[in-house]
Amino acid sequence: MVRNNRTVRSVRAVWMTLLMLFLYAPILVMIALSFNASVSRSQWTGFTLDWYVKLFHDPAILGALRTTIEVAVIATVISTVIGTLGAIGMHAMNAGMANVLINVSYLPMTTPDIVTGVSLMLMYLFCHVPLGKWTMIMAHIAFDIPYVLFSVMPKLKQMNPNLYEAALDLGCHPVKALYKVIIPEITPGIFTGALLAFTMSLDDFVISYFTSSDMYPNLSRIVYASTKLGVKPTMYALSTLMFATILILLILVNKRTKLENL
Amino acid sequence: MVQDMRLIELKGVCKSFGDTHVLHDVDLYIRKCEFITLLGPSGCGKTTLLRIIGGFDMPSSGEVLFEGKDMTGIPPYKRRINTVFQKYALFNHLNVYDNIAFGLNLKTPEQLGVKTKKEKKDEIARRVGRMLKLVKMEGYEKRSTDALSGGQQQRIAIARALVNEPEVLLLDEPLGALDLKLRKEMQLELKAMQQQLGITFIYVTHDQEEALTMSDTIAVMNGGRVQQIGDPKRIYDEPKNAFVADFIGESNILDGVMLQDDLVKFSGTEFQCVDEGFGTNAPVDVVVRPEDIMIVGEDVGMLAGTVESVIFKGVHYEMMIRGEGAGESILWKVHSTTMQPVGTRVGMTIVPYNIHIMRKATTADAVPVAQAAEEEA
Repeated sequence: MVRNNRTVRSVRAVWMTLLMLFLYAPILVMIALSFNASVSRSQWTGFTLDWYVKLFHDPAILGALRTTIEVAVIATVISTVIGTLGAIGMHAMNAGMANVLINVSYLPMTTPDIVTGVSLMLMYLFCHVPLGKWTMIMAHIAFDIPYVLFSVMPKLKQMNPNLYEAALDLGCHPVKALYKVIIPEITPGIFTGALLAFTMSLDDFVISYFTSSDMYPNLSRIVYASTKLGVKPTMYALSTLMFATILILLILVNKRTKLENL
Repeated sequence: MVQDMRLIELKGVCKSFGDTHVLHDVDLYIRKCEFITLLGPSGCGKTTLLRIIGGFDMPSSGEVLFEGKDMTGIPPYKRRINTVFQKYALFNHLNVYDNIAFGLNLKTPEQLGVKTKKEKKDEIARRVGRMLKLVKMEGYEKRSTDALSGGQQQRIAIARALVNEPEVLLLDEPLGALDLKLRKEMQLELKAMQQQLGITFIYVTHDQEEALTMSDTIAVMNGGRVQQIGDPKRIYDEPKNAFVADFIGESNILDGVMLQDDLVKFSGTEFQCVDEGFGTNAPVDVVVRPEDIMIVGEDVGMLAGTVESVIFKGVHYEMMIRGEGAGESILWKVHSTTMQPVGTRVGMTIVPYNIHIMRKATTADAVPVAQAAEEEA
């Protein structure tokens, strides 16, 4: 009876709308402003793509874009290799040891970014490693690995345990069995993990901020720096593009995960 | 004779996983070109024994000899043995052709008897084609393995193993997932393939009928021990103990006393039999198969009883008949093509050579036997 009650339904609809507004209104405002012809934040003077054009003519932003992509690609490749091999190793271990390792691997995902960022920075300074692009890449690899690990592990669990033995049975050396049978069999998981790692890399600001320097700014650092000088609409355009890219990547990851679980 | 050559020999093989002892001191030999079945209830150690022969598990102690040479530490990829796994274990990322060609692709051209890479490719195509024909799956080369039915996947798994021309083929309950009709067809096909190719087959199953249909030799296992080895007829007609008698076919297993050679007493009656050497007044187990009990007129039988239930089983009726007098505690299982209505008083006759006498199992053995029988039910 309660379900069909009209008041309950309308309350529910209002609640949902408020919730969505609360979550997405700021982003919608930002997206709208990125198409606003006026520099003013308070009045709409017409639609324009000028800010997007300007964005792609700004050498600082283009440089940061390059850094961001470079860092994301390198970190993704390396973390995917380490994460995949790690997952396979943990899968082969006895349950007790593997459980300890799995829980240890979860920790970095739940630690606040600022703690990860500050602690990495401290470690680099302690070891006298100058902060720059490579320290940022190493930091990214570190926080990407768990994402790969937890995308690959379920695939290994689902896999028929006889597949590896079948490969040995047909004449494969263990290493050959790994890349001829195991890796192809868990490729969907590896790909999802890589996609997720790439997204996390693009998305990151806090950890990058602490582990890199102004000499090698990535996009999020540029956005942050620009807020100190008064935000220009190009920044809205840049943020809109970053939001869209990450949204698309996450939708892709989601779709893949759904497909795999069919 | 080649038939008697011992291809594989297991000597005192034990296997434990932690505190669980799965195999106890197994001695077994497998002759060249024979079809041997490891038969037993789940948990009897048959799959573990197969995995030890395949090299996937190492025995905790004991030896595995291949043509007289110790192969205990040799990894699976160096053994001339191939396996058909229980759940097929086909490679989903490869199509049917590439699944079957998998083992051959790993070989050098020389190992395939050709010189160049091109010739190797042609040779592989030829061999895969021959295998597809053998398992009746021609035309399926380009199919994805997901698109196949259980029975078809099974055929591809068999082809993938046989194409490597192993000395021995191991089959781990390969027909378990198929429906009854398909299973019966595959049983005959497998047997035919084995005879045609002249390869030793080691087959694991819990299905006694399957074992009787296909095997040259059956090794009945229970509780990690081999209970009896022999050809199907011998195992059926002369079970060594109550477990084997109960597991293979249906049987009435009774307490009896061997009064003297060729004379046994059970159900309060003395019977002529053909067994000797048990001594006098020795307690024994007596096995009588349900189809070996003849229903006769109520006053002319050796035993009398009353029909308690009748079930139609297709070829015959299965009747449960309650004994009388000293045999009142006995419920006889009788198979007959003629039906006696419930409540009828009947006579029963058993001829001497259908009475099988076994030495009483020791109490230690008796417990697992009872458990295994329940599991099977």
